[in-house]
Amino acid sequence: MTLLEHLRTGPFFLDGGMGTLLQAAGLRPGEAPEGWSLSHPDVITGIHRAYYEAGSDMVLTNTFGVHPLRYPLEQCEAMIRAAMDCAFAARAALHDGRERFVALDIGPCGKLLKPLGTLDFEEAVGCFAQIVKLGAACGADAVFIETMNDGYETKAALLAAKESCSLPVLVSNAYGSDGQLMTGGTPASLVPMLEGLGADAVGVNCSLGPDALAPIVQSYLACASVPVLMKPNAGLPRDEGGRTVYDVTAAGFAASVAALIPQGLRILGGCCGTTPEYIKALREAVGGTMPPPLEDKNISAVTSRSQAVVLGQAPVIIGERINPTGKKRLRQALAEGDMGYVLNEALAQEERGAQVLDVNVGAPGLDEAALLTRAVEEIQAVTDLPLQLDTADPRAMEQALRRYNGKAMINSVNGSEAVMDAVLPLAKKYGGELVALTLDEHGIPDTAEGRLTIAERILARAEALGISRKDILFDPLTMPVSADGQAARITLDALRLIRERTGCGTVLGVSNVSFGLPARELIGSAFLTMALQAGLTAAIMNPCSDRMLGAFLSARTLLGHDPACAAYIDHASALSVQTAAAAPASPASTPNAAEPEGLRRAVLKGLRGEAASRTRAALDAGQEGLAIIQSEIIPALDEVGRGFEAKTIYLPQLMMSAEAADAAFREIRAAMGGQAEATRCSIVLATVKGDIHDIGKNIVRLLLENYGFAVTDLGKDVPPEAILEAVKRLHAPICALSALMTTTVPAMAETVALVHKEAPWCKVMVGGAVLTEAYAREIGADGYAKDAMGAVRLAETLERSALFT
Amino acid sequence: MDPALHCVDLGLIPAEEAEVLRYAQWPQAAAIPEDLPLAECLRMAEGRVRCRAVWRQYPLIVTETELDLGFARTASHSLKKHLEGCKNLLLFCCTAGAEMDRLIARAQLRSPLHGLLMHALGAQQVEGACDRLCEALARSFPEHRLTPRFSPGYGDVPLSLQREIFSALDCERQIGVTLTDSLLMRPGKSVTAVVGLKSC
Repeated sequence: MTLLEHLRTGPFFLDGGMGTLLQAAGLRPGEAPEGWSLSHPDVITGIHRAYYEAGSDMVLTNTFGVHPLRYPLEQCEAMIRAAMDCAFAARAALHDGRERFVALDIGPCGKLLKPLGTLDFEEAVGCFAQIVKLGAACGADAVFIETMNDGYETKAALLAAKESCSLPVLVSNAYGSDGQLMTGGTPASLVPMLEGLGADAVGVNCSLGPDALAPIVQSYLACASVPVLMKPNAGLPRDEGGRTVYDVTAAGFAASVAALIPQGLRILGGCCGTTPEYIKALREAVGGTMPPPLEDKNISAVTSRSQAVVLGQAPVIIGERINPTGKKRLRQALAEGDMGYVLNEALAQEERGAQVLDVNVGAPGLDEAALLTRAVEEIQAVTDLPLQLDTADPRAMEQALRRYNGKAMINSVNGSEAVMDAVLPLAKKYGGELVALTLDEHGIPDTAEGRLTIAERILARAEALGISRKDILFDPLTMPVSADGQAARITLDALRLIRERTGCGTVLGVSNVSFGLPARELIGSAFLTMALQAGLTAAIMNPCSDRMLGAFLSARTLLGHDPACAAYIDHASALSVQTAAAAPASPASTPNAAEPEGLRRAVLKGLRGEAASRTRAALDAGQEGLAIIQSEIIPALDEVGRGFEAKTIYLPQLMMSAEAADAAFREIRAAMGGQAEATRCSIVLATVKGDIHDIGKNIVRLLLENYGFAVTDLGKDVPPEAILEAVKRLHAPICALSALMTTTVPAMAETVALVHKEAPWCKVMVGGAVLTEAYAREIGADGYAKDAMGAVRLAETLERSALFT
Repeated sequence: MDPALHCVDLGLIPAEEAEVLRYAQWPQAAAIPEDLPLAECLRMAEGRVRCRAVWRQYPLIVTETELDLGFARTASHSLKKHLEGCKNLLLFCCTAGAEMDRLIARAQLRSPLHGLLMHALGAQQVEGACDRLCEALARSFPEHRLTPRFSPGYGDVPLSLQREIFSALDCERQIGVTLTDSLLMRPGKSVTAVVGLKSC
């Protein structure tokens, strides 16, 4: 039997703890165990041999702590070589003819990946790849990735292993007592990603004793189609006169672990605190018990860092709004690198109940590969919804798939040979739920049967590559019914036919059906209802449309997926609240809506809603937008600003007024058709490199915008070169920099010097907690502001001086 | 895990509105207007923030010129004064976690004011967690009196001490807190501190 066959059959025995035994042999606290492969090879060999003799089928090399981030590469190589030799020597010393294996052990690198930490994903992949290559070259039988407490790092290690060798790869994660990884993953979110990336076995080790780990292992058994492994600790550690002892005995440990075999556990061993005695007891407790045969759980799931969305049960909403097609404002935001707009669309759709978000950033003139990866990373930093990567560019798809944290939806492949050749291998390598469009190089067939034929062809090609049927969803393509009266009927027929013949899930972008027609949502929502009735798995739609969302939720309830109609009732009651709010206010509640005094008061008091409604009323009454700004809003802001400077008004009050003014500006801008956006000069704003504080910078932005400056906000942790690039591109007369820490002021000084040298027309103003007037002068800044109001006053002064020099 | 290191799950810290407003610099006497989106921010965060800490005990050795903290040496006068009379110290790192940072980013997208209030909630959460941890530590050392917390950046204690603290507590692996090259902590709502143990 091959190792893979052993793993898939089970029970297969691993080894137990290494550290505990090394301490008993004299390893000092704080001393690195991996060094002992070189300094005490006999001890390491003896431990491996003891495990083999106790019944381990495979031992893990003493390489847990070996990592290129900790040791120079030559030292990594020496330690891996020595560790492998120890394991091989132990195996060679036994002559009983039993088959035994050696796995290269890989632990976490000790650093957190971005955005939580500082390590870049590809750097992590590169480091893990070096370890795998060294171990594989020494003759390891398998790679064992273990004790990983972050799903993203696990992905980096697994991807590195699959790219660097062809050995079986086992992946074991460490969970907290809350049943989650340290960075928030669960078995349901992790397993689909690991299986998609090609893990040969998955499971858990360390952290807890066997009983506490059992529920987590059961979650694995419920969703994993590959073999499940378990390597628990011997209970909880405690310090006893300088010695670490654990509270579960060998017999108790063995009984607890062996009890999981009838439930499907097939690879077992121990972690901290376990010894050869525990493995021997485990062998005896298992005896002749065999796990049930391995079976495919047939779960189609997309996942993120911490969430899983299962496809094929209740229908799923895929939010369509992050797509620049036909959206001028989004296209502009993408061109300017303004991710805030994209992130707001993501959160708005999440609030409306989207379960997956489609992400499409393709537009002429943009570097789609770079932009898609950046969008995916930034969206994943603020939401846990799984994403659907939507691009026709295979390079963009691959870059984004690599960095995606979880198992993504891949939108899309189709029946044309060139596209299948480019996209199917990506789906195989990185995993994902693949959306397949039923069209090919000859176009879109105009019959349901024609679309089925293409679906079957794609399915055959995908399965031949080893992509599972459960990971493919077909899109039978929505066409505008205005162009062809039979279009919707054909699509729905194709949907039913494909579902029946292939058993695969289906996806439709429903909005297209109404293209070219008036009252689009009216007919779009009817089509959505019909598609759901026909068995649609996931609808790519706009959840921010009441009518579309209403149709979706109603159909979902009618199809029996909403117990006690709870979701429907929630939606309906939210709708009635909105209707009441949107009803025209009675004249009594806003006695003098157009009265200017009222607007000034609303801004002073920070009443956002009232500021907007009073501005609207004033505009309706025929007042000029600019006049309202000059005579009401600016004076109110000035008054608040003076109060802030005199310390009679505090920061949150200042911000409330600024936001109320902002709401008033929006009304005026809307009335002026988006013209006269800014009345003053451009300012490039950023928090400097190395600094991630942006609260102060954001307040400054809000106030500067209130006062009519055209602010380009580059965000936080911005390198000097990027700031200079923006200053030059906009020929900005002012650049405003923020830094909060003494440790990031040098980056600020560097930026000031660079801007002065390369863009001598630009005045640089600075602010932030550690700065003072004197400190600002010392680093060469043209001005210092101690707070947000100060920044406005300073910008006004600098603007004047820029204009007259 | 090294048994000398203690990881503590501090759970959910109740959000105290008055404290949150204090961190947001809301004037104590001022009335709270209806439009202030505090309730909304608290709702966004409800049940999502779990605070964690890791701590370790060290012997303290005081010489003429410096302090041997067990994990680092320092010549800081202010820390020396703070730890006067102590023979041991407790070193900890406490965090409101990555979810808190995500909540702040999400609030910031709604408006800067939401962002300010969520920042304030984060500060209240991590400070509340530090209080809860220190109360638990005080119970674990009933024979001792604990000094107030003292963090890098206070007095003349350099921020660079963070490097030694992070390697001593293995913060990155134990509770997911990273120290950047510019000595910032991520997640942002995290605190490292030293507490002295005085015999009663």
